This record gives sequence, C-alpha cells and structure tokens, in this order.
Amino acid sequence: MSAWRRTVALARKDLLLEWRGRETITAMAVLALLVVLLLGFVLGAEPPRAPAILWVALALAAMLGVARPTQAEVEQQALETLLLYPGSREHLYWGKWAALTVLLTVLLALLLVTLGVLFNVDLWAKLPALFGVGVLGIAGLSAVGTLFAALVIHVRGRELLMPLLLLPVALPVVLGGVRLTEAVLTDAPGGGLWFGMLAVFDILFLLVAPILYEVVMEEA
Amino acid sequence: MLPIAVQTQGLSRRFDLHFALRDLSLTLPTASALLVVGPNGAGKTTLLRLLATSLRPSAGRATVFGHDLVRGADAVRQITAYVGTAHGMYEGLTAKENLAFAATMGGRPDQADAVLKRVGLFQVAHKSVRTFSHGMKRRLALARAWMLAPRLLLLDDPFSGLDAEGTLLVDTLVAEVKSAGGCAVLATHEWERGLHLADTIIGLARGRQVEAAPAAEVSGPRLRALAGGRV
Amino acid sequence: MRSLSSLVGGAAVILLAAGLYVGLVASPPDAFQGDYVRIMYVHVPSAFVAYLAVGTVFVASILYLWRGREVYDHVAHSAGELAALFTALALAGGMIWGKPVWGTWWTWDARLVTTAILFLIFAGYLLVRELAEDRRRGARLAAVIGIIGALDVPIIHYSVVWFRTLHQPASIVRGDIKMAPPMVTALMINLLAFALLYLYLLLQRVRLERLEAAGAAAGAES
Repeated sequence: MSAWRRTVALARKDLLLEWRGRETITAMAVLALLVVLLLGFVLGAEPPRAPAILWVALALAAMLGVARPTQAEVEQQALETLLLYPGSREHLYWGKWAALTVLLTVLLALLLVTLGVLFNVDLWAKLPALFGVGVLGIAGLSAVGTLFAALVIHVRGRELLMPLLLLPVALPVVLGGVRLTEAVLTDAPGGGLWFGMLAVFDILFLLVAPILYEVVMEEA
Repeated sequence: MLPIAVQTQGLSRRFDLHFALRDLSLTLPTASALLVVGPNGAGKTTLLRLLATSLRPSAGRATVFGHDLVRGADAVRQITAYVGTAHGMYEGLTAKENLAFAATMGGRPDQADAVLKRVGLFQVAHKSVRTFSHGMKRRLALARAWMLAPRLLLLDDPFSGLDAEGTLLVDTLVAEVKSAGGCAVLATHEWERGLHLADTIIGLARGRQVEAAPAAEVSGPRLRALAGGRV
Repeated sequence: MRSLSSLVGGAAVILLAAGLYVGLVASPPDAFQGDYVRIMYVHVPSAFVAYLAVGTVFVASILYLWRGREVYDHVAHSAGELAALFTALALAGGMIWGKPVWGTWWTWDARLVTTAILFLIFAGYLLVRELAEDRRRGARLAAVIGIIGALDVPIIHYSVVWFRTLHQPASIVRGDIKMAPPMVTALMINLLAFALLYLYLLLQRVRLERLEAAGAAAGAES
C-alpha cells in the first residue's frame, strides 16, 4: 500500500504548497475571468452562450496552469530529488494528476458562479450535474496536461509548446464539455453520446498517460 | 578481502558529443569512504549522478551492492541517498513537513524530530524553509539523508556553506554510514576538509581518472594539484 | 534497400504520370463542379497519405519505446515530417478546391478541421524534436506525442463531426459526389500513386536519417 501513500503524499504536498502560495489558482482565475468578461461583452451575454464561454475560459486557463505544479518542482530543483525516491514513476503521475484535477475543479466552481451571475443562467437546480460534467472534462484535461507538463520541462520554448500540444489534443474535451453542458442546461437529448465520448477520452488517456509518463521522466 | 559495495567498469557518460565522464573503473569495499577530487567540470557531479541513477550511463557498467545501475535502478534508489549541490527542499513547506514528505516517499519511518535535533534545527522545525539560511538548508539536506538511512551515501560538495559545526555533522553522518556497513562517496575540491574521512581517493580531470590510491598514499601537494586540475 | 527504394520510386513515377493523365484528361468533369472536381485527385490522396503517415508514426513510436532500436526512431521521424507535409498539402488542396466550388476558402467541414488539428499536432511533434535538450530525449518525447496524437485522431474526428452535424443538419456534405466509374478509377490510380510516393519518400528519408546519425556518432568518437 505504500504506492498509494506516496501518491497521496505527493498530491497533498502539491496542494499544500499551492494553498500557501495560491499563485497558480490566482493566475488561472484571473485569466478565466478576463476571458469570460471579454467574450461576454464582445459576443453578448445570452444564456445559450454560457457553456461555450465556460469551456473556452477553462481550456485557456488550463493552458496556463497545467505546467505550473511541475514547473515549480524544477524551479525548486526538487525534481531530481523527487525522481530519486524508489518506486514507479506512475505514482508520481497520479499524485500530480490528482493535484491538478483538484485545482481545475476549484476553478470550475469559480467559473460556474461567475457565469451564473454574469449570464443570468439558472444554475442551482442543475448544479450537481453541471459539476459532474465539469469534472468529467477536467479529468481528461488533467490526464493529458500532467503528461505534457512533464514533457515540456525538457524542451526549450515551453510557453509556446504547451498550448500547441494541449489544445489540439484536448479539443474533444472542450467540444464534448460544451455540448454536454448545453444538454444539461436545456434538458436536450443527445447528452448520452457526448458523455460516452468524454468517458472514452478519460479512460483511454488515464490508461496510456501513466505508462508514457515513465518515458518522459526517465533518467537523462 | 572486503565485500564489494560499488563497482564500475568503463563507466562513461556523454552529452551529445562531449564526454563528461570517460572510462571510469573503480571498486569500493563496504564500510569505506571515497573522496573524489578534481576541478570544476572534471566529472565529479556526473559520477555521483550516475551512481544515484539520476543519469543513465552512455557506456560501461556499474553495480551498487549487487544491483545493476540500469536494470536494477529501482533497487539502487532504495538504498541510496544523494545530497546534491541543490538542497532539493520545498521552500513553501516547513522543515518538518519536508522531512515527513521525504520519509513517506523514501519508504522510511518518519523520524523528523530526531534528525532535526541531531542537526540542530529542532527549534525551527515549524518554520518554512524559505526563511532558512544557506547553511541551515544544507543541514536540513543532511538531516534528510540521515533519515533515509542509506547504504550508499553520495555527497556533492558537502562542505560548501557549512561552518565547523556543520562540517562535524558531515563527518558524523559519513562515519555512521560506514559503521553500518555502507559506503560514502564525497566529491569536493575542498579536499582538506574531507581528507580525514576518506579511505580511498580518486582524482578526475576532464572526465578521466588520473589518480586512484588509498588516502594515506596521496600527498598534500599531489591533492592540491588534482583539485586544481594541474595534472 | 537502395534497389527497393529505386523500384518503388520508379513505380511511383509511372503511376503518378498515369494518374495525372487520367485525372486531368481521361476522366470526365463532374456534373455540378465541372473541372474543379479534378482537385479531388490530389486532395483526397494527400489526406490519405497523411493518415497513412500518422499510422506509421504511431506504430514506429511504440516500437521505438518498446524495443529501443534507432531505426524505429528514424522511421517515426521521417513519417512525422511526411505527415506534416501531406496534411499541409491536403489543407491547401481543400482550400483551393473550396474557393471556386463553395465560395469560401474554409468550409469548416469536419474532416478539414480534423486535418488542421492533425497538422498542429505534428507541427508540435517536429518542434519537440528540434527544441529538446538532446537527440535521444527528443526522440523519446516525440514518440510520446506521436502515440498520444495518433490515439486521439479518431476521437478528435468524431467530436468535430458530432459537434456540427448533431447540432444542426449538415449543409455542406462534401465528398458526396456522384462518382462515375472513370472517376473512381482515376481516384484509385492516384491513391495508389500517392501511396507509392509516400513509401519512396519514407525510404529515402530514413536512409538520410541513418547516414546523419552515423555521421554524428563518428564525430563523437574523436
């Protein structure tokens, strides 16, 4: 069971550090809010637009935030130390994934509240379902994001590469998130298909990414 | 004939076209300490990082307490502690939190309080590492190594930033590892401070081994020359 | 190896010439689009080859990570370049086709969007190799991206298709051209020709990669 303990310890450590500094969540929240304000103003804040703006803001903020927990390790030069502990690198992946998912979920909550207010969307009745859809998408974003965050450490031009890699690959999450959120809000049919697609995305990449994480984090 | 702790054969590491370490062969018995002397860029850190499994060899082989460096890398990590030039601590956490994390990740019991007392940081256990001086951070790194109770202790430039008390801690740590049957490798150019700990000395220059002898047989002037790269 | 690639190259040239003739001269123009439909004989095979290249990258990347032999990396790298090249060609072809026929450069057709996304992914693939700290790391990181990207392609495709078609009825369903048998033949010939061209380019590029790698290794010894 020590693998589980290590995963939990790593996730707790990342979240504790984030809680103490709150840099990543602040940066993501500010960007997301700006996107919502800008798009809401430019496109018009009708309720039907809310799902699309939600997911665009979430995706763009994720571009910013995904790399930071891993980046912080590098800045602290703690990454090499972390890699020298015994045990599989898969547990490092799961710990980082969990921490990132929690961070993005906090952002999701902020965004839902903001959109409810600014776009006059009646969220309360549907809140659990909306949250569930959000987390389903976030799990997928984190799955690929954690892998790519580790990948770009070893590459010059990180700030360019992260959006270039993550947005195309995570496009299905954004598209699926938008349609599924719409379906929840308007009680429209067809949600099952998108739910299935997001689930497939999540499961596929949560299976593949930890294995590839080993490759990315291996010794130089 | 003492049992062998660490053995390397033709160990080499290159970065694209440049060889940081070339063709190093050495044998270390258990309960011994090795002093690696050489100027900057000689390959001391590379050697330590290879033994720590932080780097993969480009050529050659090595075993640490019987485990192959590449195929048995995980087993090597279980029994090795690497104290590098960067302290590897999280500035946003307290000393105690850092050690508790290290204990869980390293699969060792959490003896944070005990080791903090040993290195004289018990009073600041609940202070964030960001507030520590350079010397305090180095002592915390030693505390971490202590808690991990390694069989192979790798120290990269351990004396830098340490006062006399700190230097004594390094001595004690190395002595304890040796008496438990383990092995210590110290890389430094401050050879005067490490000399009394060493059983064997090797000298590196531009990635190659230029000296290997029991500590007693290497003279002061020779050591000075090795550290200065004048060989 | 060299004779094989010459054989393939020769066959490719012959088939390309045949395809050119059939596509431009021998096949009939479309009832609706007229002669513009002839772009299809270049555009569709380009897209086909692009996906062929993506599949090659996928398989070669897995083999490289699993077995570690350099040749798999050479194949993956070469196929990755060809993937980027042929997706760009497919996109260009699609745009040149779209303007006179549909009136716009970009139709937001699902397949076109997927191809554009694919282009971005493989641009990323090549960039990672370029910008990595060292060659070996770049090769392994690129393999990771190749695998993730290739796995994602079907999901991206369906998400894009469903996003549009389930929400509103598809107003433009390109590709539903009633194809007379001579047109099908012309398309088949060009598909085969492009596939052979791909194979020839791949073989040549892999050979070049191996020579470069050998040269670099020789340089390191000194």
